[in-house]
Amino acid sequence: MIEFQHVFKSFGRGRNILADVNFRIDPGEFIFVSGPSGAGKSTLLKLVGGLEPPSRGAVTVNGHRIDRLAARARPYLRRTVGVILQDAHLLFDRNAIDNVRLPLAVIGLDRATATARARAAMEKVGLRGKEDLNPIEMSGGEQQRLAIARAIVGRPAILIADEPTANLDHTSAQHIMDVFRDFNQVGVTTLIASHDTGLMARYARRTLHLDAGRFNDIPGVPA
Amino acid sequence: MNAPGNPRREPARGGEGAPRQGGVAGARHEGSPVHRWLRHHGYALRVALRRLRLHPLSSIANIVVIALMLAVPILGASVLQSSQPLARQLSVAPQLTLFLAPDVAAAGQRALLERIRSESAEAVASATLLPREKALETLRAEPAWAQALAALPDNPLPDAIVVTLRDSEAPARQATALAEQWRQWPGVDHVQLDSDWVRRLESLLSFVRWGVGLLAAAVAVVVLATVFNTVRLQALTQREEIAVARLVGATESFVRRPFLYLGALTGLAASLLALALARLALVPLNEILGRFARSYGIEWSVALPAAADLALAGAVVVILGAAAARLSVTRRTRF
Repeated sequence: MIEFQHVFKSFGRGRNILADVNFRIDPGEFIFVSGPSGAGKSTLLKLVGGLEPPSRGAVTVNGHRIDRLAARARPYLRRTVGVILQDAHLLFDRNAIDNVRLPLAVIGLDRATATARARAAMEKVGLRGKEDLNPIEMSGGEQQRLAIARAIVGRPAILIADEPTANLDHTSAQHIMDVFRDFNQVGVTTLIASHDTGLMARYARRTLHLDAGRFNDIPGVPA
Repeated sequence: MNAPGNPRREPARGGEGAPRQGGVAGARHEGSPVHRWLRHHGYALRVALRRLRLHPLSSIANIVVIALMLAVPILGASVLQSSQPLARQLSVAPQLTLFLAPDVAAAGQRALLERIRSESAEAVASATLLPREKALETLRAEPAWAQALAALPDNPLPDAIVVTLRDSEAPARQATALAEQWRQWPGVDHVQLDSDWVRRLESLLSFVRWGVGLLAAAVAVVVLATVFNTVRLQALTQREEIAVARLVGATESFVRRPFLYLGALTGLAASLLALALARLALVPLNEILGRFARSYGIEWSVALPAAADLALAGAVVVILGAAAARLSVTRRTRF
């Protein structure tokens, strides 16, 4: 469950990126966060992922109040949220499977189990046989799928993605969205920020529309 | 629902294929805390070694700089430790010679001898009268003096009392005090402290000891500065990795640990190299010192300090390396 109550977010003394945002997402929901550039979509996702604390208001994720969470406890919350950013943020000094294994090294999983789970995650996103490739040798779509594999390998309860298809062609974007849908179907709460109205229409789910940091919860058409 | 602020305590739910609704992912395969701790440290060590391999030239340059600096105090400590037994050996029996005034008769000389024996019995091992004729005879036996003495019309030497002191904690200081005391006695013209050079050697060793200590402190600063800078640069080049690690839930300890290993490994490698360099340097140094010492009839060579002392010094350098890395990475990983 994700809940925002009267959430404000600003950086330094700047303007409010988010202003009095209120919503609730139940476990297993598939949500789009839409809005023009600069509307606060990425900031909202960072708050959900525990990457940033709110300036004011209450953010509850998986039963934990992020605004009250001690800084040293945040990493443990982050492990329950898979994050995919627009830039895949892959490490090019190691091969693909080592990129996917990183979250499992963080939790201290043994190498054999970590390798098996990383292979399984790569297979789920359609990257079987590409384990030993350096990410730099992969296409944009493959790199994004590798980032998804890294996000899901820890079996998070929530998956958040910031414009995951922004730089991809139609076929690759379709493939990526199918991967998200598959995970959502096994109970993973999925939150995707996008301004691609065509994409949102095809996957027709509840959409949170942000405009200049303010929010309107627009119920989507059931799929 | 758990109390806010304790996500670690929430138990994992769901089977292999299901997502977790909170808590730490993968808990079923993490094993005991000890196993997890060992795996974290194994991972950090592998990452540190990989980072050292990625920049071999700069890694080697740093290690060589620290090793060269470390080798100097190791050599200093070697010389110091090897000199101490020599100084102790030489200062076992310091001697004083009391030159008597020409007008002191034989009875007065014997009275002075008895006074030395009775008043300084605790400090004096032996005291003997050396008549001027016997002293002249002894000197004439030495070829270097024989020619000079032959040119003199008379015996220029005074009667003397030669005093050998017992060994004590501070022989040089004791000898100086006794010389001061005896110099005041009537009938004593002059007191020569034959162990003066031992006192000078002791002072020199004390100065060297102080110098080595100062040098060790300077080396500690060099180790700290070099590792600090190395780790700072490493942290800057690893920004992306640190950011990604944080993104997937790495704790500050997880991020910092490889850097601590990097500092400790640099310290360890530099210590071993410094030891090898010092050992190499002792070969020509001992040849020169050996020749010099033999010219004084002494057998002397410089050896490295005891293995336990070297191990302790190495451990200190490793800890310094890790501490410098900790300091540097704490300041540099908050991107």
